[in-house]
Amino acid sequence: MLSAMIKKEFLLVLRDKHALLALFVLPAIFILIMSVAMRDQFSTKAIEFSIFVKDKDQSEMSKDLLSRLSNNGNFVILSSQDKAQFIIKIPKEYSKSANIKINIAVKDSIKSDQIKIFKSILSKEVLSAKLNEMSKRMKQYSTKASDIIKSLDTSDEKLFSVKYNNSQNIPNSTQQSVPAWIVFGMFFIIIPMSTIYINERKQNTLARLNSMNVTVFSMTLSKSIPYMFINQIQVWIMLGVGIYLVPLFNTPALEINGSILAIFAISFALSLSAIGVSSLIAVSASSSEQATTIGGILNILLGAIGGVMVPKFIMPESMQNLANLSPMSWGLDGFLDIFLKSADLKMILNEVIALLIFGMFALILSMIILNFRIKKGL
Amino acid sequence: MIKISNITKSYKDKKALDNFSLTIENGSIFGLLGVNGAGKTTLLSILNNLLNIDSGDISIFGLDIKTQKREINSISSIIPQHLAFYENLSVGENLDFFSKIQNAKKEDFEKALEINSLQGMLKQKASSLSGGQKRRLNIAIGLLNNPKVIYFDEPTVGIDPKSRNEILNSIKNYKSLGITVVYTSHYMNEIEKICDEVAIIDKGKLIEQNSLENLLSDKATTSLEQHFLKITGELDA
Repeated sequence: MLSAMIKKEFLLVLRDKHALLALFVLPAIFILIMSVAMRDQFSTKAIEFSIFVKDKDQSEMSKDLLSRLSNNGNFVILSSQDKAQFIIKIPKEYSKSANIKINIAVKDSIKSDQIKIFKSILSKEVLSAKLNEMSKRMKQYSTKASDIIKSLDTSDEKLFSVKYNNSQNIPNSTQQSVPAWIVFGMFFIIIPMSTIYINERKQNTLARLNSMNVTVFSMTLSKSIPYMFINQIQVWIMLGVGIYLVPLFNTPALEINGSILAIFAISFALSLSAIGVSSLIAVSASSSEQATTIGGILNILLGAIGGVMVPKFIMPESMQNLANLSPMSWGLDGFLDIFLKSADLKMILNEVIALLIFGMFALILSMIILNFRIKKGL
Repeated sequence: MIKISNITKSYKDKKALDNFSLTIENGSIFGLLGVNGAGKTTLLSILNNLLNIDSGDISIFGLDIKTQKREINSISSIIPQHLAFYENLSVGENLDFFSKIQNAKKEDFEKALEINSLQGMLKQKASSLSGGQKRRLNIAIGLLNNPKVIYFDEPTVGIDPKSRNEILNSIKNYKSLGITVVYTSHYMNEIEKICDEVAIIDKGKLIEQNSLENLLSDKATTSLEQHFLKITGELDA
């Protein structure tokens, strides 16, 4: 009996072109658009300054500085000054006198905050070049002092110890977009599930099935299994989009570092939550129009507060706390842990359990409501 | 035999069925007449275990409705007024689905197809059927479990006279198969055409139960419709 009901549900979903579009095509398009569009926002190498360098000094130190600037990823050294945002003039005798400053000409359109960033990056390189020069000069007097100076390292790694809080690992645009739209797409099952459910209820098919000794539990189970399977297909197709399709648009590919078992666990738990919410809406709404409207709004709200549309790490703390109320956020956190922190099943167990409890609660509630509605002939 | 004894069913303060009793003989085609809200659909829902009674007793072929629900469901079938099947599935897929969930036998599947003349339409999508064909599919689904009793809830609503006639003729044939039919309709001529016995219900109470022959022999009225209007007090109004 159960296999016949599952087969029926599959046939109905697979013949619903709009549902397939919403379940598979829409999230894939979202992943592509958002990954590419947000690429630079998430990139740590986004800041690039075009510079032109006039080296009047032509000393070892000025050449060392030039070499450092060309090796720094934040600077693009142009061969002509026409298009340069900054023109750096290294005056004659610069290496010989500590009082001679480097001159910088800035293009009108450059904003003050960009100048600050430019100066801070440039300072680091100038300081390094000076330390290097000092070390060389000291060598003739004291090898030890020279070594001490040389050992002074101005790299970020040596100067700062940056430790991210667990919840604040920052993903790249693909790592953010893929799980976000997977989570959002999984909840799109509200549309086909509620449409089929409500048609069955309105047409008295559910009552007919009930009179054929099909229990509400069997009805719910037979609907849950196909959508769980569909959700799994969604997850792996969207991961495929992130891994293979997104890089074709000059955007970082998705890298899965965590456990595959953890991906199965979080997607299964998330699926149960999505099915629970969908069932609840389907059995509570009085028409498919009402269900798709409520479902659509709820989906967008859960997505908005859950970090799907706006990444949680850029939200203020109060909004991050609010986000924790959304099951989409739990699912998203689980996926991000797997992608960013190489999480295994144990590390995402809290999210999995929360999603399972939420899903089971919603499903049980929907069964109670459905039973009530069948008995009342509603 | 279906024996309904002193049943009561209320929705909040409103009594849908009030101390209602009725007996339906095996193999008969039994008509239930009543205006909207008289209690017909409530009665059919109760007989199909879709609603519970507040008080009273019902026995269907010797089975107690309170304790033997599953057994009763397996020997009975309801043909709902709505087309309770899947428009996006083919005729064959619909019948296959409903027969599998009831563990129906292959011969019953074939019989349901034949009685409702659906043999050539197995691959046709249900949504592409005509109104009459859809009604026949709706009825065929109800025959899949080879029921001893079938409840028809206004099965001919919204179809053309030719299809209606075909359906009524097929229902008449159920008698020869030993199936008991309980039929509700607003169309008095349908009741007159197929039923052996008729019960008239009004405001949740049984007003009259009699053979069709006796009802039609009422000298004061010229048709079943007039008799119905007289007995429910609508004729004077």
